[in-house]
Amino acid sequence: MEMLAIKNLQAKVEDKTILNGVDLTIRAGEVHAIMGPNGSGKSTLAHVLAGRDGYEITGGEVLFEGKDLLSMKPEDRARAGIFLAFQYPVEIPGVNNTYFLKAALNAIRKSRGEEELDAMDFLELVKAKLKPLRMDESMLQRAVNEGFSGGEKKKNEVLQMAVLEPKLAILDETDSGLDIDALKVVADGVNALRRKDRATLVVTHYQRLLDYIIPDQVHVLARGRIVKSGGKELAKELEQRGYGWIAGTEKKEVKV
Amino acid sequence: MDALQAKNSYLSAFSDWEKSALTKDPFWLKETREAALAQFGETGFPTVKDEFWKYTDLDGLLNHSFALTGDRHTKAAVLSELKSLGFDPEKAHLMVFVNGYFSKDLSSVKNPPNGVKMQSLMESLANGPLKREFGHILPFERRPFAALNYAYFTDGVFLHVPKGQRLEKPLHAVYLSTNSGQPTQSHIRNLILMDEESQASMIEHYWGNNLNPYLTNVVTKVSLGSGSQFDHAKIQQESRLAFHIGALAVHQTERSRLSSRVFSFGGALGRSEVETALSEKKAECLLEGFYLAKGKQHLDTRTFIDHLAPSCKSEETFRGVLDDEAVGVFDGNILVRENAQKTDARQSNKNLQLSKESKVYSKPQLQIYADDVKCSHGSATGQLDEEALFYFQSRGIDREEATRTLVNAFAGEMVEKASDYLRAPLRQMVNDWMEGKS
Repeated sequence: MEMLAIKNLQAKVEDKTILNGVDLTIRAGEVHAIMGPNGSGKSTLAHVLAGRDGYEITGGEVLFEGKDLLSMKPEDRARAGIFLAFQYPVEIPGVNNTYFLKAALNAIRKSRGEEELDAMDFLELVKAKLKPLRMDESMLQRAVNEGFSGGEKKKNEVLQMAVLEPKLAILDETDSGLDIDALKVVADGVNALRRKDRATLVVTHYQRLLDYIIPDQVHVLARGRIVKSGGKELAKELEQRGYGWIAGTEKKEVKV
Repeated sequence: MDALQAKNSYLSAFSDWEKSALTKDPFWLKETREAALAQFGETGFPTVKDEFWKYTDLDGLLNHSFALTGDRHTKAAVLSELKSLGFDPEKAHLMVFVNGYFSKDLSSVKNPPNGVKMQSLMESLANGPLKREFGHILPFERRPFAALNYAYFTDGVFLHVPKGQRLEKPLHAVYLSTNSGQPTQSHIRNLILMDEESQASMIEHYWGNNLNPYLTNVVTKVSLGSGSQFDHAKIQQESRLAFHIGALAVHQTERSRLSSRVFSFGGALGRSEVETALSEKKAECLLEGFYLAKGKQHLDTRTFIDHLAPSCKSEETFRGVLDDEAVGVFDGNILVRENAQKTDARQSNKNLQLSKESKVYSKPQLQIYADDVKCSHGSATGQLDEEALFYFQSRGIDREEATRTLVNAFAGEMVEKASDYLRAPLRQMVNDWMEGKS
């Protein structure tokens, strides 16, 4: 079943066109990777899907499980099952991690007509999710991302993901700033969530994350559109040859 | 009324009021009151030309004519109201004042330790030798509202903690303003004397359920003996038509420690001044607080920390949250005098504007005349962080709740270091403010 259908999506920031007709279909159970050089529009695509302000949609549409995603508020997208793991998770002084996570989970549960979890049940749930991520319980009492190391922040994103159990997880450069051990832990966390009824979109500049999160399809984004798609071996090729050769083929593809 | 007419009405009301209200005053106090009134006559009300009042216009206050006698009784169920605010009044000594007058019936002072005096100031003045404290006018008391307070004060708290004694439970003084059928004024004076190595904590809690405009004008004078510790908090929850002018003036000696917290929610106009003189070595003070204003409220906080002696420490943090057309003022002055070597002084003021129409005037000032000191100050005013709001939303939390949580966190940091007695009620007050209940 089609979970996400992006059709000819165009977006600009201020007067600059960033997305220039993106087409992408993701089915339940699949893992897709979007790769591309800096400034190709990868992060913009991730942000537009999550509903961040500041982008003007100038054309195209996005359907999530058949619903018009672009008309939904960010919180409603999250409640519908979309999760964006931030490249730069935001520090929120004065709000502790447990409070934040619990508020998020309960907002989502409530929207589904499920009962909200009380403090005890929630704590039990979250503790079970901490272990595989090798995160210390003490971080639950810290302010959200405040003073966290780069690795801790990314793990915290994956923890949120594990607690919220989204249908579609979008990872925006989750590998950036991670050493290899942290990368493995984060990848394991993502893989643990893979299921037939869920999908993952990995946005990354480098191939190395894809050694641990094996994609079904790899797409190359350049100048705001997908210029090449292929299997997981495409990522290897990009690693060896860089992005230049694809930028060169771009014009041909436009004509097709 | 213009400022001159207003001044004259306060001057001319005195003699009639004195005859009717001050029958128990000792004669020496009468003289000081008259001297203070004369002092007020010289200055009159301040205007925005006065540096002290640059951002706070008193026209609204001067337009009212406030009667000098309010009701002394109330039907308010003070205990249950305090409980509904989240306080556990069983854990405090409670002194209740109604429109400026002490109410014995509503108060409950629970066996203070030997020698500790905790009573109505008027009672102490009638019985005790407080002439030393009241026989003269200090420089700060020459300022218009303090002088007016001196002339017209009707009562307040007198707390004296003798050497080495410790008051375990906090003193919670509630100053209630109730309907008297017309606009009224009350002038409250608190006097705190902490002898050496003594300890106590006190809450001044201003609270109005008055449907008329009214004026509360307070002076709290505190003297801290060497090695003493005094924790003071002021909660300003006047009604939205009220005018509140309050000053806390502290004199600190060697190794004394002061904490002063000011939490302002109420009043059409609220002004809170905190001054402390670190007059002997190794004295320390912590000044913290917030002002939360909405509608057309104007909340003004003015602090002055005077470093007169070496090796003293001061730490100051104030935060403001302004919504609608509200105005917040922070004017914080730290003076490090020549003699005050090894001073450690830090000051910070941060403001959060929730609307475009709100205004903030932040004026941190640091004057340093000593050369071996560690001082810093900073001020920042901004809006809610859009990145943070989006982060909440991307996790399913709507914008309203995200805003509430962020404001709670911003103001809440000022609550976390407050005493156990205060923390829960203050959290609730901030939450109620966010939800529009106060």
